[in-house]
Amino acid sequence: MENERYQPPRNGVILLQVLVGMLFFVLVTRLWYLQIHHGDEFARQAHGNRLRHERIFAPRGRILDNNDKVLADNRTAWALSLVREDCRDIPVTLTQISVWSGIPLSQIWEKYQQDRFKVKAFEPLLLLTDINFDLVALIESEIYAWPGLKVVVRTKRNYPEKDMFAHVLGYVAEVNEKEMAADETLAMGDLVGKQGLELELEKQLRGQKGLYDVEVDAHARMLGKALREEPRSGNEMNLSINLALQQASWEAFGGEAGCAVVMEPDSGKLRAFVTSPAYDNNLFSTGISKRDWDALRTSNRFPLQNRVIQSVYPPGSVWKLLMTALFLERGISPRETVFCPGEVTLGNQVFRCWKHGGHGSVNMESAITNSCDVYFYLMAERIGIDKIEEFAKASGFGRPTGISLPHERSGLVPSREWKWRRFGRAWVRGETYNTSIGQGFTLVTPVQIAVYVSALLNGGDMLKPQLLENDGRVVTGRLPAKAETRNFIVGAMRKTASAGTAHVVYRRDADMGGKTGTAQVVKLKMGAGDRRLRTSEMEYTQRDHAWIATWGSKNGRTYVVVVMVEHGGGGSSVAGPIAKKIYDHIFGPAQDTPARGAQ
Amino acid sequence: MDRRLFSYINWGLLIFMLLLYLLGVGNLYSASGTRVGGGMVFSGFYQRQLIWGMCGLVCMMAAMSFDYRQLRNLAWPFFLVSILLLLLVPVVGKTIYGAKRWIPLGFMSIQPSEIAKFAVLVLSARLLARDESPLGWKDFSTVLCVALVPCTLIILQPDLGTTLLLLLILGGMILFRGLRGYVLKTCLLAAPTVAAFMWFAGMHDYQRQRILTFLNPGHDPRGTGYHILQSRIAIGSGRLWGKGFTEGTQSQLRFLPERHSDFAVAVFGEEWGFVGCVILVTLFCLFLLSIFSTAVQAKDRFGSLLVVGIFFYFFWQIFINIGMVIGLMPVVGIPLPFISYGGSATLLNFTLLGIVLNVSMRRFMFKG
Repeated sequence: MENERYQPPRNGVILLQVLVGMLFFVLVTRLWYLQIHHGDEFARQAHGNRLRHERIFAPRGRILDNNDKVLADNRTAWALSLVREDCRDIPVTLTQISVWSGIPLSQIWEKYQQDRFKVKAFEPLLLLTDINFDLVALIESEIYAWPGLKVVVRTKRNYPEKDMFAHVLGYVAEVNEKEMAADETLAMGDLVGKQGLELELEKQLRGQKGLYDVEVDAHARMLGKALREEPRSGNEMNLSINLALQQASWEAFGGEAGCAVVMEPDSGKLRAFVTSPAYDNNLFSTGISKRDWDALRTSNRFPLQNRVIQSVYPPGSVWKLLMTALFLERGISPRETVFCPGEVTLGNQVFRCWKHGGHGSVNMESAITNSCDVYFYLMAERIGIDKIEEFAKASGFGRPTGISLPHERSGLVPSREWKWRRFGRAWVRGETYNTSIGQGFTLVTPVQIAVYVSALLNGGDMLKPQLLENDGRVVTGRLPAKAETRNFIVGAMRKTASAGTAHVVYRRDADMGGKTGTAQVVKLKMGAGDRRLRTSEMEYTQRDHAWIATWGSKNGRTYVVVVMVEHGGGGSSVAGPIAKKIYDHIFGPAQDTPARGAQ
Repeated sequence: MDRRLFSYINWGLLIFMLLLYLLGVGNLYSASGTRVGGGMVFSGFYQRQLIWGMCGLVCMMAAMSFDYRQLRNLAWPFFLVSILLLLLVPVVGKTIYGAKRWIPLGFMSIQPSEIAKFAVLVLSARLLARDESPLGWKDFSTVLCVALVPCTLIILQPDLGTTLLLLLILGGMILFRGLRGYVLKTCLLAAPTVAAFMWFAGMHDYQRQRILTFLNPGHDPRGTGYHILQSRIAIGSGRLWGKGFTEGTQSQLRFLPERHSDFAVAVFGEEWGFVGCVILVTLFCLFLLSIFSTAVQAKDRFGSLLVVGIFFYFFWQIFINIGMVIGLMPVVGIPLPFISYGGSATLLNFTLLGIVLNVSMRRFMFKG
């Protein structure tokens, strides 16, 4: 049976054996390297390939007034989105959106062109944001015929009181790259506080996002998701501000530009915080349009300015409340009199009293109640600028009060050193005169005045102005004034209200005190015979600022009300009536005012 | 047909082959699944592969049913037909992914380059079997020239993978047969020149790109390097035991490209881990050794060389495909026998094994 067998070449047989051996060895070695040696690393990469995380937005905490009235909450907002990949004919679809919404096609096109490259073809592109329910109903009834379109639900921060609380609450807007870099819990599209308490209370209000594990395919398309962490909503915050009082104060302001604060002198709580004009903070929640933003930014009435804490003004005669305390602390007797002839001459400069004919003989009390400038000129000269500076700073001026709002300004207490640094020139005596009546370089914020007046009433504690109902009393310093000093000033203010320049706030049913101020904005050159122009005759931006710093006490409740009207003119004629209306709200209409005495 | 023949069948080879084929179908079932929502959706690849396997078995039977020595006479006609078909491709072929490789026949498409592989193999076996002594210049260049005709036509399609495979099969057969010393030395010296010529004149940009990417896969992770990175992630993440059947995340979530064709083994590696891969590689080695034993035991030189050609046909595909998927080789379009999906390839694989079984059955027969 045995055949003459063919013998394969020996080298060839070895070659085949070697090749098979090599195949096995090389492949298994490499597989070991990948799957065992680096297996964990690849497994991690595979996990990262497949799993994405999707954040679940936590509802932002509501903000309420001190009576649980809603000042900021979240509402549902509908938006219409388009997934390009699913859309058969984009121009026709956009036209249909225009037909539904009544928005010009060109505008929708513009939005589409602007955003189309920001999202992938399979991701929703928002075309209409914050659409009303009627439109949602209309679109939903026909949307089946329009693949790629979808109505999506989002939440939007809602400020029912709009402008009235704009500067207290601030606003939220979409997070920017810088904020994201600073806080890793933030992600694109998050709303964060940008201004006001929304910014200051960001941590409490934000809550904690939940987390979905999202399984995706290679095109990042979602295949399924599982809840990993529940979202936790932000804390609800009660403001110390009272909505009704805020409203009354806001209305009292009318159309004026300026601000008003109502502070409880014992606790430091702010009960009203008005700055006017303001803006509708709802504009920011879903992205403010460029047109609206430009309008706000360039308005010559500066609606973005928080006048209570960010605007600095010369305090005018309100400053005399501080100077008086200084005089007393420096040992000047309240009985000492000064003769006011209506002006004082210093070198070749004439410093006038506001009262043309002069006040005649004045003592400390009458100097306050009648706001006699000459008295303050002469006494201040005796004390000197250095002591004034020291005392003003110790009394809380020239530094922020510490209120929980961003961008608070310090104001300015001038000094020799400051002037040298600022202008390269030495201090001159006339500047001490100006400083003594709250003119010249001195700048204060209205909230500083409120803190100062509160300190006079509460025993000398300088308090941090509080905006939250549940925050405790925070003492930031002690007024460098003895009890007698404070009592004297409080008494002088009482007299100013009952018989002096602050009479406008006077009411019999309450213990009232006040001090007005009229701060010159521009120094008007006046010859000896010139008469002062009436406010109405001056250009708006040259008109004086009107101040009134007051307190009122009734039935054991005491409030400090400070009103500042920009370019309003006289303190008693413009700021005073506003303060009066605020007291009318707090204490009820004054009983001796027939016009309001209905009950 | 002589009944005794069946008792001489290389059963080991048959069993290894069937095991590999079934593993391949199972793997395709998993690879064709796509996770959607909570469930899986399967495309029909594995079903079609099953049908192709049935057809392949018929082809295998047919390839076993005649005396393989008749192939020797049919070598030239086969070759000429395959050249004709290759010439037809540019005329009637359909273009898929920028390459014209298929001739549509209505219900299916055939790939003439697959037929050419077989034809070159048979013709080379015939040419190399002519005499016993190691090859001199004359025989060497004859074989080379004959093979260059289909190679040129195939590389124009363009199909670098098949061309390379053809040249490698031929090279393997020549090495097995043995070269005279001076021919071998000249070849070794000429190889760099030929390689340089291929690089600059014979390759398309994308082919060069693939090789460059192979050398530095991180360079362009979303582009050409994506295949390599993703397949390494898939295989590597399988670790020791794998993620389990149909549990491979990289494949089912479509991170892995061409997971049912060239990269099918990556799915296997991900789901069965190192243990599964070693079993698969071992199975392939046993399979190759079975072919190899047939080549050694063949009763004539033509049969032996024919089987050696088939050995190299499988060897290079296994080596290149797995090597490519695990990042040892550049990405060239070479499927893994029995594991990758492919109609023509399956038919050819079965047919070629039919021939190996044919040779093995007839190893003890008297000379006709």
